[in-house]
Amino acid sequence: MKFPPFLQTLAVCATILPAFAQEIVVTGNTAKKQPPIPITLTGYADEAEKVLKFDLYVAGFEIVSPAQAQYELKAGKSAEVQGTLLDTGNKHALFARSYPGGTTRAQAHMLSDDVVKAITGVPGIARTKIAYKAQSGLRNAAGENIGEIFVSDYDGANAFQATEDKTIATSPAWVPGQLALFYTSYRAGGPAVYSHNLSTGARTRVFAFNGQNSSAAISPDGTKVALILSKSGSPDLWVANLDGSGLRQLTHTPEPESSPCWSPDSKTICLTSTKDGRAQLYTIPASGGELRRLATGGVVNCTEPDWSPDGTQIAFTRASGEFTIYLVGAGGGDAKPITAGEDPSWAPNSRTIVFTRGRDGARRLSLLDVPTRQVKDVARLSGSCSQPSWAK
Amino acid sequence: MNSLAKLGLLSLVAVLAIAPGCSKKPKNITPIPGSVGSATAPVTVVPTGPINRPPIDYGGRPLGPGNNPGRLEQPIDTSTPGGPGNSTGSTGLPTGNLGDGRIEDAATFAGATVYFDYDKSAVKTSEASKVTTVADFLKSHAEANLKVAGHADERGTEEYNRALSERRALAVREQLINGGVPADRITTEPYGEDKPADPGHDEAAWAKNRRAEFILLLPANLK
Repeated sequence: MKFPPFLQTLAVCATILPAFAQEIVVTGNTAKKQPPIPITLTGYADEAEKVLKFDLYVAGFEIVSPAQAQYELKAGKSAEVQGTLLDTGNKHALFARSYPGGTTRAQAHMLSDDVVKAITGVPGIARTKIAYKAQSGLRNAAGENIGEIFVSDYDGANAFQATEDKTIATSPAWVPGQLALFYTSYRAGGPAVYSHNLSTGARTRVFAFNGQNSSAAISPDGTKVALILSKSGSPDLWVANLDGSGLRQLTHTPEPESSPCWSPDSKTICLTSTKDGRAQLYTIPASGGELRRLATGGVVNCTEPDWSPDGTQIAFTRASGEFTIYLVGAGGGDAKPITAGEDPSWAPNSRTIVFTRGRDGARRLSLLDVPTRQVKDVARLSGSCSQPSWAK
Repeated sequence: MNSLAKLGLLSLVAVLAIAPGCSKKPKNITPIPGSVGSATAPVTVVPTGPINRPPIDYGGRPLGPGNNPGRLEQPIDTSTPGGPGNSTGSTGLPTGNLGDGRIEDAATFAGATVYFDYDKSAVKTSEASKVTTVADFLKSHAEANLKVAGHADERGTEEYNRALSERRALAVREQLINGGVPADRITTEPYGEDKPADPGHDEAAWAKNRRAEFILLLPANLK
């Protein structure tokens, strides 16, 4: 069977995803800014050069002149992308490879991933995917700001529109290891949670109770969905199997809960609750139990937590007039601001975050390398993009 | 009869149909068509009561398939609760579809929209009389169900705002229930920051957007 090009790319992405789960990633003290790794590129031009520069910058490298470089990446002479990676100190070659087949962009992504792996020991993220909400700025006849779900490469290339609901579609969440999303759409009236298999196009309405059905997050082991339902009289945290069966209410507060995320072992859920007045972060066992406050060192109005895949940190948004992304240790502690923005979602490497910045109908997605604080904008569609979710 | 006059008459019929004790069926009324067209007709004053009848509002949400690369499968009906579960002390939402086969009327109580303080979901004392007006109407019009649509301004994060807007709608619903309206006639719908009344980005706009709106769900079977 012949798939359209975007699905072929997605399929490649899926086959490489499981390997990430095996890696142990050390990101170090998040409060300290690390210097970028100086590297020089020799002989690249046009799209290959552009892609390599983007990928390496986001991965925490700085493109410098040969005299300042710790590493040199040299192009070959053939049509396809080639790369020889040299340590400029001892002149040793770390590898020499060529990348036949596929587009120049895909070849360059593969090369940059190999450079990242060879130097840092951690797999690169250049061939991963993100999903997000894009708003054109148009409103439908009901007065709703139209938002649709899009999927693209992590740098915004090869964007593909997954919904055309012409209503509010938002908050995509990947099913781990699969080419599938859960998201909220208002296409049948009020908000309902859908699962959408991007390979087959099959879409199923899974949660459509009266009131709120939203904020789905899939457990890393791929067996459970956490979400917010208000059917018992308040926006509470519920957990179910991916087909909607086995539905169970985990919180019972009169105040609203929002934006659940999972620990990498799928045993704990972190979310926002206003049960103690201000919006704060809490954890709760996925099998049920008490809400436990996650200390953030006095930082309040904490929303949108996202747990790093290595389990060490939680990124969240502080909403106090301005939006700021903070990091806090997974056990709680002093939360540290890392950048202006909102909606953080971790990459599989536990060091890069995709987030939203800008306001007033012109929000854009950006990528943050946490150790170096280097930020690059994702190639944008016209309009406003938000609610990114990084495929893992 | 021009279309505006027709709309006005239909609106009058809608009131007559739900008025208690009204058994007379008006004659020569065209059944409500599938689409109203330009439903911007002015509000019709009804002689029988204080409530102004609106043009009929179908919501206008397009459901066409478009060229969606995804295929929408037959929806799974999850409207029946999957398990036990409510110990919040709040009154759970109805399990059925209160709007099934009904007409959405967002205009009758457009003037009763309840406004909220920033990041708050409590119904202010100054807004309470609006809720009472709606409660009184519902108590005297047993045929009408109600949807309370909650909204937030754009200053919070999106999913937080969705939950906040739902909490606002639920707070209004709780007041209606306290006012004597049966819980199984009221549902809620959260819109977060996605359906602003005013698209501006200043306090004047935000104040108009922190709101809960009343949408009557009226029987459609007019004859």
